[in-house]
Amino acid sequence: MKIYACTEGRSGQVDAVSLEMITAARGLARDGDDVIAFFAGSAAEDAASKVGAADRLVAAIASQADIVVAETYARQLCHVIAVEGDGIVMVPYSANGLDVASSVAARLNWPLVSYVERITHDGGSLSVVAQLYGGKVLADCSVPLPAVLMINPGAFKEAEATPIAADRVTTIDISEHAAASRARPIAIGLPDFSDVDLKAADRIVCVGRGIGDEASIDLARDLAALLGAEIAGSRPVVDNGWLSKLRQVGKSGQKVKPKLYMALGISGAPEHLEGMAQSDVIIAVNTDPKAPIFNVAHYGATCDLFDLMSSLSERLKASGS
Amino acid sequence: MNILVILRMMPDATGELLLTEDGLGIDREWLDFQLNDFDDHALEDAILLKEASGAKVTVLAIGEGANRVLQMAAARGADEVIALPGEEDELISSRDLAATVVDFARSKSADLVVCGVQSSEDLFGQLAPYVGAMLEWPHVSGTNRIQASGDRLHVTQERGAGVSVTYEVALPAVLGVQTATKAPRYVSGSKLREASKTPIGKGERQASSFALSATIGGLHIPEQNGSALQLGDDAEHVAERIVAILESNGMGRN
Repeated sequence: MKIYACTEGRSGQVDAVSLEMITAARGLARDGDDVIAFFAGSAAEDAASKVGAADRLVAAIASQADIVVAETYARQLCHVIAVEGDGIVMVPYSANGLDVASSVAARLNWPLVSYVERITHDGGSLSVVAQLYGGKVLADCSVPLPAVLMINPGAFKEAEATPIAADRVTTIDISEHAAASRARPIAIGLPDFSDVDLKAADRIVCVGRGIGDEASIDLARDLAALLGAEIAGSRPVVDNGWLSKLRQVGKSGQKVKPKLYMALGISGAPEHLEGMAQSDVIIAVNTDPKAPIFNVAHYGATCDLFDLMSSLSERLKASGS
Repeated sequence: MNILVILRMMPDATGELLLTEDGLGIDREWLDFQLNDFDDHALEDAILLKEASGAKVTVLAIGEGANRVLQMAAARGADEVIALPGEEDELISSRDLAATVVDFARSKSADLVVCGVQSSEDLFGQLAPYVGAMLEWPHVSGTNRIQASGDRLHVTQERGAGVSVTYEVALPAVLGVQTATKAPRYVSGSKLREASKTPIGKGERQASSFALSATIGGLHIPEQNGSALQLGDDAEHVAERIVAILESNGMGRN
C-alpha cells in the first residue's frame, strides 16, 4: 500500500508540518508499504533536503509558482495516485490542506476524516480518533481504505529532517497545469512586525470571545500595561475588528511562546491552542470549568472575568506604588 | 452575478456538551443552535459583493432555527431565501450536503458559491472544496477579503503567521470564507420585522454523491488532563493567587 504524506510550503520551501505528515505515515507503514512524500512548488531542493524519513519523494514542479494553488495540487496528487496506486493520503490541517483534502476525497470518492488526532490499523480499516465541536468531543471512527485523513498540527512529532537520496526522487513538470489554473496567485502578503511582534513578547494577555465587547478590551489593555505585556486576541476578537490582525494568536495568526500567557475568556479551540500551548506559564480564566484551555494551562480560574481584571489591576497598581 | 450562500445551524458548543445514552451523538434536546460563525461571514461577503457590483443573492439554510437566520439574511439584503430539511438529531455533514449545493448552484445559474470555511460538524470534510471539485470550479478556502474585478474576483486567503496570498479567481468559483471583508453588519429590529414578511422557500435535499466516509463507533468527551492547577472561582482570591504566582516566577508588576 502507498501512504502519501502531503508536504506544503511556499517559494520552494517546505513547512515543518510536512514532517509531521511523514511521521504519521511512517507510523502506519507496514512491511511492503511505501511512504511517498508529495511536494508541489517551484523547486524540489528544500523538500529533498528534509524528507529523508520517507521512502520516496514525488515533486510536482512549477518553476514560476511561489504558490501552487490547492486545486492544482489536488489534481496533481490524484494523477500521482493513479500512477502509484491506492492507499492513504495524509494532509495537514492548514489553509491549503482544507482545500486539498476534500478536493482529493471528492475526485477519488474516497472516505475523508478531518481533524485527526490518532490513527491505528484495525484489520483492513483504520481506527481514527478525530475532533468534533472545536475539540470538545472526540469521535472514534472506523475508516475503510483507501482514505484521506486531514491531520491536526501537533498530533504527530516532526520527522527528523534528513536528505533523501536522489534516486528516490521523482520530478514531474506541472508548469503548464499551474499556468492554466483558474485561481492564479497574484500577490503574497508578508506581515509587518514593526508595530507589534507577538513572537518577541515575553508576556501576553490574550482576550477571547468571553470579553464580550470592544469596550471591555480596554480593561484587558490596562491590565496588560500593568504587567508589561502585549495585548492579543483570539480569532473572534480580531474578526470583530476589536484588535488588529497582527495581534491574533492561533492557527491563522501568530504562534507564540512567551514566559507568561494570560488567556482571558478563551475557550481553547484547537486552532488557538496550536498558537500558544508551548508558553512557559499559562494562566487561563474562563467560567466554563470544562473549557479545553484548562488542558494546556498551568493555572486556571473560573471566576468572573471582569471582577478578576479589576481586582488584579488594583493589586498590581498597589504593589507598584 | 448570481451568488449562492450556504448557512448551517450548529449546536452552541460554548457551554457543556452531553452525549446521548448510546454514545453516538450529542444530546441536542437542551442545546441552543446558532448560525455557523464562518457562514455568517460568508453571507456578509455575498451582500458586500451585491452592494459593490450588483448581484442576486440566494441563501440556503439548513438545521434547527434555519428560518430565523433566513429572515436575518433577508434583512441584510438577500434576495431569495430557502430552507433545506435537515435530519433531526444528526450532525450536518458537509460531505453529504455538497450534492444539494451543487444541484442548487446549477438550478440558480450561480456564478459564485460562498460558505464558511469550516463548521464544527464537518468531520467528513469541508463544503467549499467538495462543491468546487464536483462542479470542476476553482475553489479557495480561508478567505478574508473578496473583491469583484470584472468577470473575476480578487480573493485574499489567510495562510497563518500573518502571511496572506491574493488570487485572481475566474468565475464561476466556490469560496470558503474565514473572515468577511468587513465585519458582519448589525440588523435593526425594524428591518428584521420587515424581513419577516419575506417568503421562505422550501428546498429539497439530494442524496449524497459520495461513499460513506466512516462509521462513528462512539463519541467521548476528552478528559481534563488536570494540568491546570485550579485557583477557584472567587475573583479576589484568584487575583491574590495570580499576583503570588507572578512574583514567584519573577514576573511582578513591570
